Amino acid sequence: MFGGTNPNKDVEVASPPDDTVSALKFSPPSVPQTFLAAGSWDCQVRCWEVEASGKTVPKAAQSMGGPVLDVAWHDDGSKIFMASTDKSVKCWDLASNTSVQVAAHDAPVKTCHWVKAPNYTCLMTASWDKTLKFWDTRSSVPIMSLNLSERCYCADVDYPMAAVGLADRSICLYSLEGKPAEVKRVDSPLKYQHRCLAIFKDKKTKQPTGFAVGSVEGRVAIQYVNPTNPKDNFTFKCHRSSGTNNGYQDIYAVNDIAFHPVHGTLATVGSDGSFSFWDKDARTKLKPFEALDQPLTKCAFNHTGQIFAYAMGYDWSKGHESYNPSKKNFIYLRPSFDDLKPRST
Amino acid sequence: MGRKKKKASKPWCWYCNREFDDEKILIQHQKAKHFKCHICHKKLYTGPGLSIHCMQVHKEAIDKVPNSLPNRSNIEIEIYGMEGIPPEDIKEHERQKTGGGKVSDSDDDEPAAKKKATAALLGPGPSTLTPGILPTPMGPVPPGMYPGPMGMNHMMPHFMQQRMMMPGMRPLFPAASVAVSTPSKPTFPAYSNATISAPPTTSTSSELRENGDVKPPAANTCPLVTATGAGSKIIHPPEDVSLEEIKARNAKFRPKPKPDAPSTPVSAPPMIAPSTSQAEPAKSASAPIVKLNFQVAAHMSAAVAAARQQAMRRPMPMGMMGMLGQVRVPVPVSMPVPVLPVMQQFNLMRPIQPGMLLPGGMMQMGAMFPGGVPGLPMMQPRYR
Repeated sequence: MFGGTNPNKDVEVASPPDDTVSALKFSPPSVPQTFLAAGSWDCQVRCWEVEASGKTVPKAAQSMGGPVLDVAWHDDGSKIFMASTDKSVKCWDLASNTSVQVAAHDAPVKTCHWVKAPNYTCLMTASWDKTLKFWDTRSSVPIMSLNLSERCYCADVDYPMAAVGLADRSICLYSLEGKPAEVKRVDSPLKYQHRCLAIFKDKKTKQPTGFAVGSVEGRVAIQYVNPTNPKDNFTFKCHRSSGTNNGYQDIYAVNDIAFHPVHGTLATVGSDGSFSFWDKDARTKLKPFEALDQPLTKCAFNHTGQIFAYAMGYDWSKGHESYNPSKKNFIYLRPSFDDLKPRST
Repeated sequence: MGRKKKKASKPWCWYCNREFDDEKILIQHQKAKHFKCHICHKKLYTGPGLSIHCMQVHKEAIDKVPNSLPNRSNIEIEIYGMEGIPPEDIKEHERQKTGGGKVSDSDDDEPAAKKKATAALLGPGPSTLTPGILPTPMGPVPPGMYPGPMGMNHMMPHFMQQRMMMPGMRPLFPAASVAVSTPSKPTFPAYSNATISAPPTTSTSSELRENGDVKPPAANTCPLVTATGAGSKIIHPPEDVSLEEIKARNAKFRPKPKPDAPSTPVSAPPMIAPSTSQAEPAKSASAPIVKLNFQVAAHMSAAVAAARQQAMRRPMPMGMMGMLGQVRVPVPVSMPVPVLPVMQQFNLMRPIQPGMLLPGGMMQMGAMFPGGVPGLPMMQPRYR
């Protein structure tokens, strides 16, 4: 159970998915226990209970008509939304273990996020059909549908802010106050395809104030919505081979970014099979880790910031030729509260 | 002719992408910035020169050119001013200057004879023009192949000519080759009032490439994810499309078919009701799968679809059969056993999944693989 192929001695989640993990989310603070939900390319979403010891107990699974691309928890922790390449999003009611379709697009749905505003709740979905839709989950017609200039590649929601990254590398920012409205369109600070996006909060006000976006060229940009100083925005390199391989430095995609809910520091995972912890304010790497033998596709912190989960599996970065279905996929858990403390507090 | 062509490209430093009005200044810059020994401050003439100096004089190995961009730090490439810059980098630079991807594409249509002429012009050019100071540039370095030690240099002109005509090697377009083959001429005074237009930045590597890549793929020009620099390689399929889209094209990951779908209109999926009524959820679930064949490809361009077709021809990995039934997931006691209507709903939606019909609605993780149930076919290219 412990260690195994993981050089960092992290805890393995029991009964991992049978294909690459495409989404990884912990349950919200409203539930007393800690649950972990993972969507996978095997068309399933699985749910585990994570005990304080790090032991994981598989609880249930639900399937979709196609590979799952994203999952999101309802704020009350009773439901999980599952976005799939079958162009639909379903709501999985954990109590009855049933699912109903709650959203539809004309192309695979890349992201889904539950929006909890004081005066309304809705599900935000973004798709490769170049639309962003908001649903109240009871109607087959979206409350609102916004056109995007390109396919959605990544998105994040932290009320009252939503950010959507597109295939043309632009980032659309939305305000969700009152009702969703586009606030601004940001040109990307990165020159390569965007792959992941995460909103971060201001340290003092605890309000969303900016976002981090990662690209396929091993680089992350920290971008404030309204930077007080233009130099607040910066990019940093990550997930690149340290030495050279046949004279080349290998540059890997940044597959996911997650911010620590307490410290405001961040974690990145990459196609190189490594994860790193960073302090964006001090602009330093907090801790390097040994790379695993397969890419890391997703990562997440639980709401207290005690647990860091990351998923290992093939991410297609070396094409279908390198796909080896017999390779097992893993999800690992790591105690993260101390590792992610900023150095000087 | 030379003058007109040259106007398009000012001399620029391969190591840091900075532009100069005059190649003399560029050479001074390179000597001061990139070829200076950090130990004795002696200014060398080329990267390899610096490397050999440090090795022989100070017994220190230098693996990177100082102050260079990350992907331009290769110390083994011999560059002196504008000489020796890999032709593909010159092209990228030119493309960036002209602002579009069109210029460099034109040379593909040139007749073969012209290509040869261009190549031959370039080959011996640098070494004959400045024989005294200039170690023969290695010229373009094909990926994976790096110039050997200095000892090889005496044979370079011939070797280079040969290599320049190797099939698959893209010739320079005339503008660039002229610029390269007349390096020691001073720049025309007319240009000297121009300022440095491209200060070095940390992310320049990508600017070079991405200029033409912002647009979604057109019919026959797929944007590519490739690092321009000689020293780095992005681990990503060449096509500039997300990994998920590329993966989703694989037959194995196609959404499951729903056989009774085609009559349901896509535009108006019925009202979704919680499982009180069984028929409607099933119907709405079936709505999105009209035109199954184009499901994943609907948003993709023709080029992308073509690439997919190509990918489809390769053998498909079968898999995931071995895990069947191994993992039994206990449903929490608090979850009520679903009643029959729910089962029917599942059944309607996904008739080919025997795993769904387990007693009491228990979810067996192993039993619900996409087509991974023994006796049933995998998601083979039958939907193509």
